[in-house]
Amino acid sequence: MPILTLLVVLAIIAVAGYVLGRRRAMASADGDMRKLHSLPSYYGYNAALTGLVPAALVLAVWTIAQPMVLQNNVSDMITTEVADDGALSLIMSDVRRLADGLDTAVAQGALTPAEAANMTAEGTDVRGTLADVGVALGSEVSQDVLGAAQAYRAGSATGNLIKTVLVLLIAIGGTAFALMKTTATFRARNTVERGVMAVLIAAASIAILTTIGIVLSLVFNTVEFFRLYPAMDFFFGTTWQPSFSGRGGASELGLLPLLWGTLYISFVALLVAVPIGLFAAIYLSEYAGPRVRAFAKPMLEVLAGIPTIVYGLFALLVVGPMLKDVFGGDGALGVAWMTGDRSVITAGLVMGIMLIPFVSSLSDDIINAVPQSMRDGSLGLGATPSETIRQVVLPAALPGIVGAILLAASRAIGETMIVVLGAGAAGRLDLNPFEAMTTVTAKIVSQLTGDSDFSSPEALVAFALGMSLFVITLGLNVFALFIVRKYREQYE
Amino acid sequence: MKDLNLTEKSHLMSDTKISAKGVQVYYGDNHAIKDVNVDIEDKTVTAFIGPSGCGKSTFLRTINRMNDTIDICRVEGDILIDGEDIYDPAVDPVQLRAKVGMVFQKPNPFPKSIYDNVAYGPKIHGLARNKAELDEIVEKSLRKAALWNEAKDRLQAPGTGLSGGQQQRLCIARAIATSPEVLLMDEPCSALDPIATAQVEELIDELRQSFSVVIVTHSMQQAARVSQKTAFFHLGNLVEFGETDKIFTNPEDPRTESYISGRIG
Repeated sequence: MPILTLLVVLAIIAVAGYVLGRRRAMASADGDMRKLHSLPSYYGYNAALTGLVPAALVLAVWTIAQPMVLQNNVSDMITTEVADDGALSLIMSDVRRLADGLDTAVAQGALTPAEAANMTAEGTDVRGTLADVGVALGSEVSQDVLGAAQAYRAGSATGNLIKTVLVLLIAIGGTAFALMKTTATFRARNTVERGVMAVLIAAASIAILTTIGIVLSLVFNTVEFFRLYPAMDFFFGTTWQPSFSGRGGASELGLLPLLWGTLYISFVALLVAVPIGLFAAIYLSEYAGPRVRAFAKPMLEVLAGIPTIVYGLFALLVVGPMLKDVFGGDGALGVAWMTGDRSVITAGLVMGIMLIPFVSSLSDDIINAVPQSMRDGSLGLGATPSETIRQVVLPAALPGIVGAILLAASRAIGETMIVVLGAGAAGRLDLNPFEAMTTVTAKIVSQLTGDSDFSSPEALVAFALGMSLFVITLGLNVFALFIVRKYREQYE
Repeated sequence: MKDLNLTEKSHLMSDTKISAKGVQVYYGDNHAIKDVNVDIEDKTVTAFIGPSGCGKSTFLRTINRMNDTIDICRVEGDILIDGEDIYDPAVDPVQLRAKVGMVFQKPNPFPKSIYDNVAYGPKIHGLARNKAELDEIVEKSLRKAALWNEAKDRLQAPGTGLSGGQQQRLCIARAIATSPEVLLMDEPCSALDPIATAQVEELIDELRQSFSVVIVTHSMQQAARVSQKTAFFHLGNLVEFGETDKIFTNPEDPRTESYISGRIG
C-alpha cells in the first residue's frame, strides 16, 4: 500500500476510534454526561490518539530506515571493483534508479512482474526497455547492478508489505486497547493531556535532531577533509588557491584570507548598521510620536523583508559603480584606490543597510523595556531627553543592545549573496577596503557549484569552511544570549 | 474658593513658595484638575490627600512640569514659584526641574553606583567644580537622606542592590543633591514596609528645615504625622486646604469629613 493510502486509512481508523470511544463512554454512563470522569470528547480523542500516534511513529521510522537497511544488504552484491566509498555511493544510486525504473516499467505494462524479476543483463536490452517507459539510465547496465536492483525491488516490496500490515495492526490494536479501557471512571482527560505532551515533545525533538544531523554531517565531512589536507595548512595558511582536478597542481587552501575577508566585511557592515540602527531605534522609541512610530517602524522592517540577492544586485549595479566614481582612478577624488566595482566597502555598506532593521528592531524592544520610572527619575532631576538617554537609558539597555549587535554580527558573518555579488571572488589578505576580497561563505558556494567530486579536498574544504563558520557564529550567538539573559534579570 | 480665603488670612505673614491660581489640567478631553487655587508655604510639609484618580498626583506633576512629557496633557492657569510663572515660555522646564526636585512612588535608582546616582544631578547641572566638591555634595546629600552611615563603605556598589527603603532614601538623596528649593514626593512610601516608611517620614520632617516639601499620600495617618498643611482633592477639585490638625479634627466641607472618616474614597 502506498504511504498516502496508508495515511488515509490511519486517519479513517482515528476518526472511527474517536466516534466509537465517545459512544462507548456515553453508553457506559447510561447517556448521562455528568457521570463521566471527563467530557465525552476526551474519550474519543484518547481512542484516536492511542491508535494514531504509535502507528504513525512506526510508519515514519520504518519509511526512513528501510532504504538504508536494504542498501546495506544489496551492496554486497556489487562485484565490480570500487575505488572508494564515493564510487560505491554512485553505483548504489544507479541501483536505486534502476529499481525505480523497473517499478515504473511494470506499472506501465512494458514488463510483466515476472520479467522484471528474472531478466538478465545479457538476455535483454535493459536500458532500451526502460528508455521506452521514460526512465533514462546513464550507462549500460551490468549484471551485478541489475541483480542488486532486482534484490532491492524484492526487498522493498516485502518491506512495504510488512510495514503496511504492522502499521495497521498497531493502529487497530491501539484503538481497540483504548476502547477496552473506556469506562465512566477512566481518566481520559489526563491521558489525553499526556498524549498532547508527547506530540509537543516530538515536534521539539525534530528541530533539535535536525540541528544535530546538520552538525554531524559537517563533522564527518570535515574529518574526511582533514585526512586529505593537513589541518595546520588549513587553519594557518595565508593563501587561498584551489586547483581543480584536471588542471593539476596542488591546491593551497588557507582559511586566513577568507576569514579576514569575512571579518573585514562584517566589520564594515556593523560600522554602518550599528550607529544608524541604534539612532533610529532611539528616535523611534524616545522621540517619535505614536503616529510617526506606527508608520516608520513597519517601513524600517520592510528592509528586513528584502531578499539578500536583491541587496546583492543593488551592491553590484548601484553602490559599486557609485563608489568607483568617487574613489576610482578617474573618480571625483582622483585617488585611484578602487580598481573594480566589487570591494569590501561595497559589500560592507550594503550589508550594513541590510542589518539596520535587525539592530533597530531589537534595540527598540530593549530600550522600551527600560522602565519609564528611570526616565522620569532622570527628567525629574532636570536632565534633557538626550542626557537621559545617554546617561540612564542606554547604560541600562546596554547589555541588551550588545546582544542585538552580536546577533547582527553573526548574520553578517553568515551572509552570502551580497558578498558573492558585491565583494568579488579573490581571497586576499589586504587592508585596503576598496580592494576586492571574498568571504568564507562565498567560497563555500564557489567550491560546491558545478561538478564537484566529493572525494577531493577542493570540494570537501567547503565542509571545513562551513564548520569553522558554524563554530564562530555559534560562539557569537551563545555569547549574545548569555549577555541578553544577564540583562533580563536586572528588572525582575 | 471660600476655604482658601480662611487659610490665607491665618497665614498672611508666612512666605508663600508656590502659588497656584485657577489651574486647569486636561488629558485630551478629560478635565483632570478643575480650577485649583492654592498657596504652598516655604519650609513646610504640605500633604495632598484624596481618593485615587482625584488629581492630586497630576497637580503635583504640574509643579515641576513633568506633565510636559505627556503629549496629550494641557495645563491652564498660573503656577508661580517665588512669584515667577513657571509656565512662562521664557522658563526652561529643564532648569525648573533642577529647582523643584521630585521623588517617585516606586524607588527608581539608576542602574549605576550609589555614588553616581547621587552625583547624577550635580554633574549634569555643573554644580561641582572638581571631584572634591562633588564628593562633598554626595556626602552631604546622603547624610541629609540618612543613608550615609549605611552607604559610606559601599559607594561604588550598584544602587539597585540596596533594600527598598534604602533605595527610596537614595532617590531622596539624589533629588536633594541638586539643592532644590521645593521637593515633590509622589506617594514616596507606598512601596515600602512600615520600618522603611517610618525612616522616610522622619527624614521628611528633617527636610522641612531646608525645603518646602509637598507630599502626595494615600495614608491619612501619614498625612497627619508628617504635614503641617493638608489639601483634600476630590474629583479634580481642591475641596479643602488648611492646617493639618484642623482638617483632621474639624473639617469644614462634608466631603472632607466623609473621606477622613472612611465613607467615600
